[in-house]
Amino acid sequence: MSRLFRSPPPAEADVRPTLLGVVTLLFLLLFFLLTTSTGQRLGVIGLRLGSAADLAPLPHAGLLRTLEVDMEGGTLRVLAEVQTTDIAAASTSVERRQFELPPVQGSVDLAGLARLVEEFHALDPSQTRARLRPDETTGTGALVAVLDVMRGGSDAPRFPNVALVGLGE
Amino acid sequence: MTRRRLFRPEEGGVGAGLDVGALAPMVDMMTLLLVFMLRSYATEPAPAPPVADFALAGTVSEDPRSRAVEVLVAGDGVWVDGRRLATLTAGDPEVLVRPLYEALLKLRGPRRVEVHADHRVSYAMLRRILYTARAAEYDEIALVAVNRASL
Repeated sequence: MSRLFRSPPPAEADVRPTLLGVVTLLFLLLFFLLTTSTGQRLGVIGLRLGSAADLAPLPHAGLLRTLEVDMEGGTLRVLAEVQTTDIAAASTSVERRQFELPPVQGSVDLAGLARLVEEFHALDPSQTRARLRPDETTGTGALVAVLDVMRGGSDAPRFPNVALVGLGE
Repeated sequence: MTRRRLFRPEEGGVGAGLDVGALAPMVDMMTLLLVFMLRSYATEPAPAPPVADFALAGTVSEDPRSRAVEVLVAGDGVWVDGRRLATLTAGDPEVLVRPLYEALLKLRGPRRVEVHADHRVSYAMLRRILYTARAAEYDEIALVAVNRASL
C-alpha cells in the first residue's frame, strides 16, 4: 500500500521568533513615540467673529429662532425664541423662553446648561447658530467650558456656530 | 483548567522557554498601548509664554490646529512669536491693543489667529485681544485649549 507521505509530517513551525519580533517592533515604536511627542494635545475652538463688512445672517426659518446664553458671575441665563403655531395653523407667534441657572458649588451649572441646550437642539436640529454673552469677569476656563457645552462634541454637535456677542456674529 | 506559564523551565528540549500562548496577549497589550499613545499624544508641543504657572483651559474639542499667528496671553502680558508686545492694564478705556494691532498688521502669512490664553485670563482681557485681531482684519480667530483626552 502506497502512502501519500512517506516521512512523518513536519513538526509545527515555531512562531515564537516572529511574535518576539513583533513585540520588539512595537516596543521600539512606543519608545520612539514617547521621545518625539508630548502628552499635551490641543483642541481648537473656532470663534465666529465676522467682519463689519459681512452681511447679517438671515433669520432662521425653523422652530428655534434664536438661542442666547448670558453669563453673569456664575449664573447662566438661557434665552430662546421659539416659533409656535396654533392648532388651526392660522397664525404663528414667537414665544420667548427664559431660564436661569444659578451656580452649583461655586461654579457654573454646566450640567443644567447641557440639558437645556440639548432640549433646544432636539426641538430644531437645523439651527446651528447660538450667541454667548460672557461677563467681563468670566475666566477663559469657564468660557471654554460653556462654549464646549453649547457646541457639543464632534460626534454629537449641538450649536457649532457660537458667536460671542459684542464682537460681531 | 490548565494554567499558562510564560516560561517553562522544567521542560527541556525544543519546546522549552517562552510560551506561545503568553506572547499573543503581550502583543495585544503593546498594540493597545500604542493606539492609546497615538490617540492622546501630539507631535507638536504647545507654545507657552515665559511665565511660571501658565495653563490652558480644558476642552472636548478635537479640531486640529492649523497654520496661524500664535498670540499668547497670560497674566497681564501678550506675546507674539516669543516677544512680549504689550501689558494690559485693567480699566484701560481703549479696547484696541495698539502694539498687538501693529504687529499683526506687519505679519505676512495666513490671516488666522490662534489665541493661547491662560485659563484664568478674564474675558475683559480676552475680548480686547479678539477685538484687536478682528480689527487687523484676520478672518479666522480661534481659541486654543488642552484636549481633555490628553495626558
